Amino acid sequence: MDNEYDAIIIGAGVIGCPIAFELAKKGYRTLSVDKLSDAGMGSTAASCAIVRAHYSTVDGVAMAYEGFKYWLDWENYLENVKDEKGLARYMNTGSILIKSKGHDWRKVKNNYDVVGVPYEEWSVEKINEMVPVYDLHEFWPVRRPEDPRFYDEPTGMLEGAIFCPEGGYMSDPMLSAHNIMRAAEARGSRFVFNAEVVEIRSENRRVTGITLKDGTRFDAPVVVNVAGPHSYKINQMAEGVWEGCNIKTQALRHEVMHCPSPPGYDYYNEGYHTSDGDIGCYYRPEVGNMFLIGSEDPECDPQVWVDPDEFYAGEGGPGRDNQLTESQWKAQCYRVAKRVPTLQVPNQPRGVCDLYDCSDDWIPLYDKSDLGGFYMAIGSSGNQYKNAPVAGAMMAELIDACQKGLDHDKEPLQFKLKYTGRSIDVGFFSRKREINTESSFSVNG
Amino acid sequence: MKIHVCVKHVPDSAATITVMAGGRIDENITFLLNPYDENAVEEAVRIRERLPDTEIVALTVGGEDAACTLRSALAMGADRGILVAGDVFDSRRTARYLAAAIRRDGLPDLVLTGKLSIDAVGCQTMFRLGALLDMPVVNAATALTLEGRRVVAECEAAGGGRLVMETGLPCVAGAAKGLNAPRYPTFPDIVKARKKPVETIAAGELAIDAPAGGVEVLALEPAVQQRRGEVLEGSAREAVKALVQRLREVERVI
Repeated sequence: MDNEYDAIIIGAGVIGCPIAFELAKKGYRTLSVDKLSDAGMGSTAASCAIVRAHYSTVDGVAMAYEGFKYWLDWENYLENVKDEKGLARYMNTGSILIKSKGHDWRKVKNNYDVVGVPYEEWSVEKINEMVPVYDLHEFWPVRRPEDPRFYDEPTGMLEGAIFCPEGGYMSDPMLSAHNIMRAAEARGSRFVFNAEVVEIRSENRRVTGITLKDGTRFDAPVVVNVAGPHSYKINQMAEGVWEGCNIKTQALRHEVMHCPSPPGYDYYNEGYHTSDGDIGCYYRPEVGNMFLIGSEDPECDPQVWVDPDEFYAGEGGPGRDNQLTESQWKAQCYRVAKRVPTLQVPNQPRGVCDLYDCSDDWIPLYDKSDLGGFYMAIGSSGNQYKNAPVAGAMMAELIDACQKGLDHDKEPLQFKLKYTGRSIDVGFFSRKREINTESSFSVNG
Repeated sequence: MKIHVCVKHVPDSAATITVMAGGRIDENITFLLNPYDENAVEEAVRIRERLPDTEIVALTVGGEDAACTLRSALAMGADRGILVAGDVFDSRRTARYLAAAIRRDGLPDLVLTGKLSIDAVGCQTMFRLGALLDMPVVNAATALTLEGRRVVAECEAAGGGRLVMETGLPCVAGAAKGLNAPRYPTFPDIVKARKKPVETIAAGELAIDAPAGGVEVLALEPAVQQRRGEVLEGSAREAVKALVQRLREVERVI
C-alpha cells in the first residue's frame, strides 16, 4: 500500500470530497480517510441540503450565490464523471424569506443588492396567491408548546417576504458527496474508509502524517481537518492547533422533522423552500409530499452539546443521543402547523437527528492552523452544505498558496469567485478572528 | 350512539429501549398513542361522521404522562377523555379499571380498542373487558359494518385468512391496521383538543375487586437484531435464479 501522499484529507463528507477533488486538479496526490464506510455517510447524510443565498454577511451571500452555479452545472463540475449510484439532482423551488422579527431581513436584502442576487418583494397577498396553504398571521415571538402563550390567537399580520427565484435543495446529500468522490478519484485521488484517525503526527512544528486506529500510518506534508462534528477532536490531536484557535467548534445536536403535506396540496412539486424566522423554522419539500422541517435555533429552545462518539453510539442518554425527542418534535411541527394550519402532524415523531459542527459564531473556519501544513475546513454550523463546492475550490487555493509560502495570517488570501467575479477575503473565516457579531448565531449563518 | 375507545400510552416503536432493573424500561423516551388504538379512534370518528349524534369518550389507565396520549386521541376527534390515574400492572387489573370507569360513565353501545398494544402484546384486555361488561368481542377487525344494532366484522384470521363474523351492539371490537387509515391531527385540532374535558379518576376511587393472582414480570430482555444482508454472487441472471429458488425452496414464500 502506498503510504505517502501530497495531502491527506480527514473526512469524506460534502466538504472533504471537493477539497480532495480541487487539490487533485492542482496536481496533488491526495488521500481521503473517513471513519465511516462510504462518502457522505456522516452528518452530510442528514443535511437538509438546502441551497439558498440569504446570509447575514455580504461574503456569506456572495459565497452561497456562487455555490448555485456549481449545483446548476453539476455534471460539468464533476467533469462528467460516471457514478454507478447515479447523480444527485438540484431541485429549484425558489426560496421565500419571510419578513419577520426573527431575521434581519433588511440586512439580507442589502446584501442581495451588493452581491447582485435577483429577488422579488412579495406582499402578503402575493404570498397567499403563490402558497395558498400559508396562514400569514404574525406568530412572533417564538415559543415552545409547553408555554400556554404558544396557543394565543395571533392578532397582527406579517409584512411580506423576499423571494429568490433561485433556491432549493439537492435531492440526496449523501449521493452528492459520493458524486464528488468519484470525480476526485477520476483525477487520481484515493479514498480509504472505515479508517479512524487516532494520531496526527508532526515534527519541528510541521505536520508529517496521520496514524489510524489499526496502526496504519500515512505520511503527507499537508493534512486537512474536515471531520465535521468530530472536528474539535481532530484539532485536539494536532500539536498546538486547538489551542491556537480563537474560535472553537463543538458538536450540537439537531433534529429535523417530516410531516405529511396537507391533503390535496402538492407541496413536493409546487412548494417553496421557506425560511420563517417568525416561527423559528425553515421548511422545504421532501420526497413523499412531505414537509421537511428544520429549526432556526430560537432562543427559547435548548442547545444540547454532545460528545459525537457517544451520540452516534446512542450512548448519550435520552435527549442526548440520535433519537428524536417528543418535545422537539412538537416544538418544530406545531410551529410550522401554525403557518400551515392544514399540515398533518402524526402522533409518532419521524425525522432525522444528527449533529452540527458548530463554531462559536456559527461562521465556519476555512483556514490554516498554528501547525505548519495542517489546515481546517470546519465549523460548518449547519449552514455550509450549499457552499461545499466553493469551499473546496477556496481551500485548495488556500492550501496551495500557503504551501508555496503565503503568510495567510498576515496577508489573507483573496479568493476570486469565478462565476460571480467577486473576491472573498478568506481571512473572514480565520481561526484568529474575534466572534463575528454580525452573525445570526443560528443555522442561518 | 356512545362509543368508548380504550387507548394505551406506549413507548414509541422507533425509540431506543433501555431495560432497567426490575423488569422495567427507562421511560425517559417518547411515549405515544398505541398505533392500533389510532385505528380504533379513527373508526369511532368515522362512525360519528355517519351518525352525528355519537359521543366518543377516550379512556386510558396510566400515570400523569398518559394524559398526553388522551390528548392525541382528542386531537384525532374524541369528544372527551377519562384518565384512570394509577400504575399499569397487567391486563386483568387494567381491564377491571377500564370496565369500572366505563360503568361509572354510563355503558356505551360500542367499545373500541386496538387489537393489541405494541409494548406488552398481550391481546387480552379487549376479551377481559368483554367478559366484565358482558359483551361479545370481535378482535383484529379490518372492517366493521354497523346496520342498526347489527354488526358485521371482518377480522384477521390465522395464516393470512379472513374471518367474517356477525354480532350485535353492544360489543367490544379490537381494531387492526387494515380497518382504516388514521387521520393526522392539524394544529386547529390540537388546539381544540386542549380545551376538551379530561376527567381524572384516581384508580383507588373505582374500588375494583383486586384480581386473585396476576402476572408479574420476572425478566425483560431487549430484542437482539440478527438480520444480516447476503449478496447473491454471479451475473444478474444467475443471481435472480438463485433468489427465486431461495424464495421457493428455503423461505417458501412464493
